[in-house]
Amino acid sequence: MIVQSRSRAAARAVLAWGVVALFVFPLFFWITVAFKEAREIFDLPPRLANFTPTLNNFNEVFGLSLGGNLVGGGNFNMGPRLWDSIVIAVFSTLLAVTIATLASYALSRMKFRARHHYVSWVLSTRMMPPVAVAIPMFFIYKDIGLLDSYLGVILIHAVMNLPLAVLLMKSFFDDIPLEIDESAVIDGASRWYIFRRVVLPMAKGGIAATAVLCFIFSWTEFLFVLTLTQTGLKTVPVVSSTFVTSTGTAWGNMAALGVAAMAPAFLFVLLVQKQLVRGLTLGSLKQ
Amino acid sequence: MAQVSYRKIAKSYGAVEVMRDVELDIADGEFAVLLGSSGCGKTTLLRMTAGLETITAGDLMIGGARVNDRPPKDRDIAMVFQNYALYPTMKVFENIAFSLRVKKAPEAEVKRKVGAAAEVLNLTDYLDRYPRELSGGQRQRVAMGRAMVRDAEVFLFDEPLSNLDAKLRAHMRVEIRQLHDRQGATTIYVTHDQIEAMTMADKIVLMKGGKVEQVGTPDELYDRPVSKYAADFVGSPSMNFIEGEIGEREGAPIFLAEGVAAPLPAPMARHLGRRTIAGLRPSDLHPAENGAVQGTLTLAEKTGADQNLHVRAAGVDIVSTAPRNFQVRQGQHIALAIPPERVHLFDAATERRLGA
Ligand SMILES: Nc1ncnc2c1ncn2[C@@H]1O[C@H](COP(=O)(O)OP(=O)(O)OP(=O)(O)O)[C@@H](O)[C@H]1O
Ligand SMILES: [Mg+2]
Repeated sequence: MIVQSRSRAAARAVLAWGVVALFVFPLFFWITVAFKEAREIFDLPPRLANFTPTLNNFNEVFGLSLGGNLVGGGNFNMGPRLWDSIVIAVFSTLLAVTIATLASYALSRMKFRARHHYVSWVLSTRMMPPVAVAIPMFFIYKDIGLLDSYLGVILIHAVMNLPLAVLLMKSFFDDIPLEIDESAVIDGASRWYIFRRVVLPMAKGGIAATAVLCFIFSWTEFLFVLTLTQTGLKTVPVVSSTFVTSTGTAWGNMAALGVAAMAPAFLFVLLVQKQLVRGLTLGSLKQ
Repeated sequence: MAQVSYRKIAKSYGAVEVMRDVELDIADGEFAVLLGSSGCGKTTLLRMTAGLETITAGDLMIGGARVNDRPPKDRDIAMVFQNYALYPTMKVFENIAFSLRVKKAPEAEVKRKVGAAAEVLNLTDYLDRYPRELSGGQRQRVAMGRAMVRDAEVFLFDEPLSNLDAKLRAHMRVEIRQLHDRQGATTIYVTHDQIEAMTMADKIVLMKGGKVEQVGTPDELYDRPVSKYAADFVGSPSMNFIEGEIGEREGAPIFLAEGVAAPLPAPMARHLGRRTIAGLRPSDLHPAENGAVQGTLTLAEKTGADQNLHVRAAGVDIVSTAPRNFQVRQGQHIALAIPPERVHLFDAATERRLGA
């Protein structure tokens, strides 16, 4: 740590915590809503801590019966929807990251015709607004039988994620000095061996970052799930919208679902975060 | 047997030609040093030898076979890169063992070979560390170790010592040379440090702008540089150059410039009247009454064992090495003498060496 004056350090800390509070407050309030009775939600001044916590919202949303003092059997039964979200996010992330890693290594290292144009071509597929794609996709999926299936949604999410994932991963591979590959080539290693044993471990941080982005996208994606699924499955963002009805909005239930939905995403990021260490090439080269 | 021969090698990047007509033979077991200023093509030649770069024209022969189209792994070459290119996610042991792992060598052999290499390189205590936890010199030795366990026919080194401090560099010079003497593999070593070249090489290959300027033993390069460029490159402090003319005095040839009158060997008489550049090594010049070079002392630099006298003469700064007890004051007049046979003469226009 570089030495700095105490007053400046204190001012910096206060400012930093202020910014953090600004970002965290909505989250905190949302969580309190999940534990409030409907009549308390819109109280003025807003109740931050002085409310009677209740699990009613969760109970209604997930149909849990806790300790017998709550009425069991929720009317929304959202547990399976949470499961749908997890399956889709995990597998579409896996698929996108696998393909993107292989593709971007090739783009970064191999010489082939027009490779410099590839990246912009790949990116161009994301320049169209998704709405323009959603309706045609509905008909295509209907014809090939992917409508309302896990595979269908996983595929479309992976495809949506690929361009950015490739771009991101490529920049990570580009940062790994070519001499490292070349040194391994001279020592007799095959391309695949180098990729798996030398380059991939070095790109861990990049893979983790890419995975986080893909996961979050899939976890929050709305449009494609809405159009490409019917009764078989629905993810959290889409079912959240069902709490908005013509007779009013079930704020408490929506917040409960939101809080529950944050948990898996948070867990995933936490798991991956460990890999987000920077400076992985440290020590490989002369400074 | 791994003789390495270059036959009319040329290299172009697109329309840019960076190397032309390189003719060179490196004998089996020889320690050859590629020397030259930055950008002259040393790395390019090394990379072509390793198979990392295609050869635009000419033939590259290793052990008598043409290898232009042979992939790197089939050339039996080990290479230490200009930056060390260690594998940061592997510990020192695995870094050194890499090529053996690729070959799927038995565990006992891996242990034995890595152990032996670490022993020689003084790395035994560091095998369990990551490269980032090592000093520059240690990293450099890991890079060497990775090449050593290969038992390759040809070793290529690309400026492996360029980032080390002077002391470590002197130490590593000896280590590398001893290693070579023990293993007896053909070695091509790139540097732009002439001291490294002089101390380590069996043969020096001096390059200039993508061409070979001179090939020879360190002594040959020092004593008979073929051009002003070669003369300038080898020797420290570097050679003094004075432009003048070859004249005659009392029937003997003499090099003449303002304040300079240096007697030459008799056969030089045939270049009479020619515009030339005289090259005078600092170590050949010594203070003497009636010396060939007359000037005033501008600076005396102590180097420890001796001192470098900077003398203003013939409009240039002339350096001479004198014993450290030699007493002379700044601004004082001084004369420097040089034996006739130690004067190097280069044509003023072509800058090539003039023969007797
Ligand atoms: N990929 C490339 N494309 C175009 N020109 C190149 C390329 N690589 C090298 N060159 C040119 O080839 C010449 C030789 O480069 P090289 O790297 O072999 O020099 P060097 O002698 O190793 O220099 P240094 O001592 O600085 O390492 C340089 O003029 C360089 O600009
Ligand atoms: Mg170089």
